Amino acid sequence: MKRIFTILLLSCLGCLHLQAQTINDGFMMPKKTLCTGLLYTHDQWTKYWEGTLKRENGNIGTITTQSLMWMGTYGITDKLNVIAMLPYVKTKASMGTLHSMEGIQDITVALKYNFFSHKTEKFTLRFFGVGAFSTPLTDYTPDFLPLSLGLASTTGSARLTGYFALSKGWFINASGAYTLRSNVTLDRPSYYDDGKLYNTDEVKMPNVFDYSVSIGYRAHGLQAQLDFMRQNTLGGVDIRRQDMPFVSNRMNYTKGGALIMYYLPQPRGLAVRGAVSYTLDGRNVGQSTTLMGGLMYTFIFKKNETTSDVYEN
Amino acid sequence: MRTKFHTRIILAAIACLVFVTSCDKSITLSEQLTPLKPADNDADAGTWSMVLMTSPSQIAVAAPTDVTSDAYKAELASLKDIQSKLNQNQRNAIDYWSGGGVLRWDQIFRELVARYNLPPSPNADGSYPVPDAENPFANPQYPFSNPPYASRSYAYVSATIYDALKAAWYYKYLYNRPAPYKTDSGVTALVPQTDMPAYPSEDAVMSGAAAEMLKVLFPAAVEEITLKAGEQRNAALWSGKATSSDIAAGLALGKSVAELFKARAANDGMKTAGGNKALWEGLKANATSRGDVAWLSLETPPRPPMLPFFYKVTPFKMTYDDIAALRPGPPPVAYSTEMNGEVEEVKWYSNNLTRERLAIVHKWADGVGTYTPAGHWNDIAAEHIRDANFSEVRAARAFALLNMTMHNAAVACWDTKFFYFNARPCQLDNSIKTGTGVPNFPAYVSGHSTFSASGAAILSYLFPDHAGDFEAYANEASMSRLYAGIHYRSDCTGGLALGKSVGNFLVDHFASVDGAD
Repeated sequence: MKRIFTILLLSCLGCLHLQAQTINDGFMMPKKTLCTGLLYTHDQWTKYWEGTLKRENGNIGTITTQSLMWMGTYGITDKLNVIAMLPYVKTKASMGTLHSMEGIQDITVALKYNFFSHKTEKFTLRFFGVGAFSTPLTDYTPDFLPLSLGLASTTGSARLTGYFALSKGWFINASGAYTLRSNVTLDRPSYYDDGKLYNTDEVKMPNVFDYSVSIGYRAHGLQAQLDFMRQNTLGGVDIRRQDMPFVSNRMNYTKGGALIMYYLPQPRGLAVRGAVSYTLDGRNVGQSTTLMGGLMYTFIFKKNETTSDVYEN
Repeated sequence: MRTKFHTRIILAAIACLVFVTSCDKSITLSEQLTPLKPADNDADAGTWSMVLMTSPSQIAVAAPTDVTSDAYKAELASLKDIQSKLNQNQRNAIDYWSGGGVLRWDQIFRELVARYNLPPSPNADGSYPVPDAENPFANPQYPFSNPPYASRSYAYVSATIYDALKAAWYYKYLYNRPAPYKTDSGVTALVPQTDMPAYPSEDAVMSGAAAEMLKVLFPAAVEEITLKAGEQRNAALWSGKATSSDIAAGLALGKSVAELFKARAANDGMKTAGGNKALWEGLKANATSRGDVAWLSLETPPRPPMLPFFYKVTPFKMTYDDIAALRPGPPPVAYSTEMNGEVEEVKWYSNNLTRERLAIVHKWADGVGTYTPAGHWNDIAAEHIRDANFSEVRAARAFALLNMTMHNAAVACWDTKFFYFNARPCQLDNSIKTGTGVPNFPAYVSGHSTFSASGAAILSYLFPDHAGDFEAYANEASMSRLYAGIHYRSDCTGGLALGKSVGNFLVDHFASVDGAD
């Protein structure tokens, strides 16, 4: 019965890379320091890919996803950081009748381990392993795309990151992760997917591989970088022509972006962060433009260290 | 310090491992079928009332050769040879169809409905193309199996199977030729044995009846339908249930019965149910003449209403006059005090769309890309039919009664909707936001409510012990539309009452007097 609004997805994935800036970068918080703050993200798209077909849809217009995310990174040791993130998400369609959604989304907790470091006068080389875990903190529905808050899957990922920097401040960072995703549950007793009718409310979620490369400059409290990001969903099918998007669709994208972070001279320990990204290519996702801005503050629980040590680390 | 660090790493690794190993992705499907062993063969089913056929012997089925004949013995020899070489795929096919052909076909056509339940995309000029039965593989694909189309399809397929099986039962007990596993001890029964005569094969009857009807309704799925039908016949043979002549006679009978239903379908009014631009314009007067606001499509670009003349499609075991007599009085006129109150209530639900209510909305939404509300009631019915251990013909009766009723409910609901042609809540107040898509046709009365109450009435007749459950489902499905912000309360209550009347009509005039009870 229903009208058509063949839609699309899922800008929350758009925020992932911004969250990931601490999960997939080449920096550590020193022992007994906490960097914490709030990040605001504004993600918007009008065009989207229905499978591989790029289109617009007058029944949804522009989809805007805003999120306010708390984030914290704490140095357990100089070599091991724990990172946590928790976003509050709000979605809205500019046209049509579909209801906005808002609420707390998924908590992410990650352990980041700097297992290799080599520093000479000319360069620094580091490698990191990151284990991340995320799970929904509320029972939001994943079955109202593109307005769902997220995909409601519990995930675990293993990430490897390499960082190479010249002593003058130029750096390159590359990171890749494999993410396992748990099945999700719908509110309905059946669904059609990949040519079959499933008489169950449970949906198998394909796993995900993503990688990113950043080049940038970091010195004197300033970090500026250009980012390239790619996500591939390892399975799932395309949205059929005029069908609704579905939680297990093959959601792929390539994004380009830039990030800047600056530790203010005063007050010491306060940093501003801003980022932008744009979806260059995608499949079963919206072509989003994402803006992010936030404030991060560094607390030092150790007597003999200063914030300059922190941001020069 | 070092040890502590390592301990932490190990703990984290264990946590990750626990997640990875607990990430079991296998999913449990409901509606699992076990090999059918009916509680009763329903030997008298040949005498039950027909839906369309004039008598169970309307299609002639020649007497089979005697079990002592050389021809029959040659069939047995061939069957034993096949059985001695069965591979795993063949055994899987036997297991699949042993769950019951009627239940399997119901699952298959729910899947087809979901696959084809996709509305056409707009043309560049804002108009919409019409799916073309003569060109079903094109874009837009044919059909768009929306709720009225789907309810009609479910009714045709299940009524065709039902009449064909009653005819088969008539000949089975006329000729009384036993199954090969009874006539020859060298034939192995790979499905539960019954005393039911094998000629003509009920599986072959179903394969012919269902496939021929489905090929008309879902022509682009011809390959898949044909393969399923062939597999059903092969499974009957391989399992030791039927010989090749049992199957040939069954297939011929099933196909002939399907021809009768195809002829009915070709002239039942469906071809003109879409209407045309002039007719769509004319519908507005149905509302404005009462001083009401005429329905407008809320889609961008505006889409013509869904099958506005579906109410002219022939009902099953009812006449159009019977339908029109059940039509409820008019809805409150837009902007009247009464209607303003209704809009206000919808708005309250829209503003207070709790997670609990959203779950109910989505449980019953049955929108684009799904098996539709009629399919949902088949889904509900299937497990009851399975658990009741019905014979194939009694299972076919249950699905036919259910689906004919929901077809009639669709006709009655569309009759009311397009007779009054009133606006949806979002049209009167565009600040109302919805928990699912707004259907592209008038509000009064709610289709979900009408389908559900009619289905519940039939299922309550068939399974009286569960009547309370069915009524609760119907009420929940109905209220889900108010919670979603797409229907007024009077649409829901009016739809429930209409659906119940339609359901009871079939119970009173057909089901309770068809000789099956």
